[in-house]
Amino acid sequence: MGALLRSLEGRRVAIVVGSGGVGKTSVSAAIALSRAMEGGRVLVCTIDPARRLATALGLDSLGNSEALVPPEAFARSGLAPRGQLHAMMLDVKRTWDDLVTRHAPDAATRDRILGNRIYQQVSGALAGSQEYMAMEKLYELSTERDYDLIVLDTPPTAHALDFLEAPDRILDFVGNETARKLFAPALGAGRFGARILQVGTGFVAKTLSRFTGSDVLSDVGDFLGQFQGMYDGFKERASAVRSLLTRPEVGFVLVASPSALSVDEALFFHDHLRTAGMPVAGTVANRVTRELWPYPEPVPGGVQLAEALGGSGQGDPELAARLASTLAQHETFAHADAREVERLRRGAPGPHAAVPRLEGDVHDLSGLAALARHL
Amino acid sequence: MSGSDLLDRRLVVVTGKGGVGKSTVSAALAVLAARRGKRVLVAEVDARERVAPMLGGRPTGPVVRPVLPGISTVNVDPRHALEEYALLVVKVRALYQAVFENRVVRFFLRAVPSLAETLMLGKILHEARSEDRGRPRWDLVVVDAPATGHALQLLGVPRALLDTVPGGPLRRDAEWMQALLSDPARTSVALVALPEEMPVTETAELDARLRDDLRLPRGPVFLNAMPEARFTVSDIARLRDLSGSPPPLGPAARAGLLQAEQRERADEQADRLRSLLGRPLLPLPLVASDRWGRRSVERIADAMDGAI
Repeated sequence: MGALLRSLEGRRVAIVVGSGGVGKTSVSAAIALSRAMEGGRVLVCTIDPARRLATALGLDSLGNSEALVPPEAFARSGLAPRGQLHAMMLDVKRTWDDLVTRHAPDAATRDRILGNRIYQQVSGALAGSQEYMAMEKLYELSTERDYDLIVLDTPPTAHALDFLEAPDRILDFVGNETARKLFAPALGAGRFGARILQVGTGFVAKTLSRFTGSDVLSDVGDFLGQFQGMYDGFKERASAVRSLLTRPEVGFVLVASPSALSVDEALFFHDHLRTAGMPVAGTVANRVTRELWPYPEPVPGGVQLAEALGGSGQGDPELAARLASTLAQHETFAHADAREVERLRRGAPGPHAAVPRLEGDVHDLSGLAALARHL
Repeated sequence: MSGSDLLDRRLVVVTGKGGVGKSTVSAALAVLAARRGKRVLVAEVDARERVAPMLGGRPTGPVVRPVLPGISTVNVDPRHALEEYALLVVKVRALYQAVFENRVVRFFLRAVPSLAETLMLGKILHEARSEDRGRPRWDLVVVDAPATGHALQLLGVPRALLDTVPGGPLRRDAEWMQALLSDPARTSVALVALPEEMPVTETAELDARLRDDLRLPRGPVFLNAMPEARFTVSDIARLRDLSGSPPPLGPAARAGLLQAEQRERADEQADRLRSLLGRPLLPLPLVASDRWGRRSVERIADAMDGAI
């Protein structure tokens, strides 16, 4: 077992983060698979898995609930897990609706919120909404289920920090005290602008309604008003989620591809996790091109390779030239990768894993098992 | 449509899955257009700036700045875009400050659906149609758009506003924004993909969303980082025999085999993408470079030339 998996031993939650396209889902599934192989009861919660990986995990027809990866799927890949692997796909909108349903004081309020246009935007399209719901779902699963390990594959954020800041940001605007006072009078009162005038802020409201149109203002007012009774429940829960994230039983796994941009993003995230007191379990450099020419001599040219080919009785200068440029190109990639991997290791010291290139592209259980061997 | 007239559009939006090379493609499109004598603006959208540094300049920030002859860049951010836009609406700076810099109002503005996206898109589209003494300020605006989900959000903003906002300046803006975005004579949305499973799947989904939900004019699909076909079947058989040889032959043969395998996988994915999309792709070469900079971008632009 590699350094990363050892670092995750004894933890109950692994949160896999990194910029888009680095292979977070494969790494998440490999971590989960590995623990299940050893006898754990494991859940991997993913956002948007590759089709073949989803199929391998039996996720084809699933919504917002957990499903056991069937033993036949393991058998087909020649694997015999001692534990259980469950998988689920996060449905952001459903999670929001569930949350509203959970906190709404009565059915009428619930229906009114679920039907509000601003709510539909907030729950569907608002930046950070996915991230917030991923956290929410994680909290629900970790408090209401008894998995030995939950692996959360996080959404592909444009900005890594969205993931940590989204809940506060969203709650800020549904719960801001002053905003609530300002907008609450609009509740159920037809013309919003008129009410605002009454509280003496007509100048602000008038300017704003020139900007957005007054109907938007009244929708927002209505939404905030409806949310008033639920806000405390939401806030409490968000702070519980936040404190869950600082517990030692949680470990963040930072995944990067060996590119400058992706490593920058991982290091940026790493610093913020440290500052926020959130435990980092380790880093993964995924799809690393390995060096093939680790010798002190320079990479061989076409002439040298042609001679060597001749020596084996099959001289071919043209093939030799192609091989020389291919090897040189390979080494260029390998050196650039090595430099970035080194930057990741130095910038985020601790358990580290490097997954070679062709094994980072995974779409079945045996591929996941092969990937896990590098973790 | 092929890419042949792409650079004659006023607005080219570049999007695709995260990490596929959108910024590189955006920068290369700008370089190519500038070579053809066009005045180009590349707009990044609230991003960690890449385009200007890739072209050898410093990060630009929210104010348009030239980076190379014929090429300017900008990194649009919501706060700055709000200020610019709000000043257009309220005209008086003191009034802007009193209203929009108010803390409560800032909270409120965040609650307006997709306001940040609206403002950023509005700023970009405003650049695309702005004129200077009767002639367009830019021949071409290239938008280095965010990745799939966020890009759909951004490009869907005018339509969403038209559905939800019954009147007021925001609606009027949504109307002209939608008219520009959906006009195939002026606008094209180009996609970037990699010949790998996830990017191919996501590109196909993105293409369908652009066609069915947003109904925007779809442009070429760039298949980035496509490995060359270097070895024939008989070469590969020979490389297998040689791969166990001592250096230098063994390592060279192994590099060859890896390259051939990469090409084969890439080919499979390219075929899959072609059949999912039902139209041709524009392959871009895999460029081996130690540091990604202007020279690499120029090479991508060379590869595009002729195809677009």
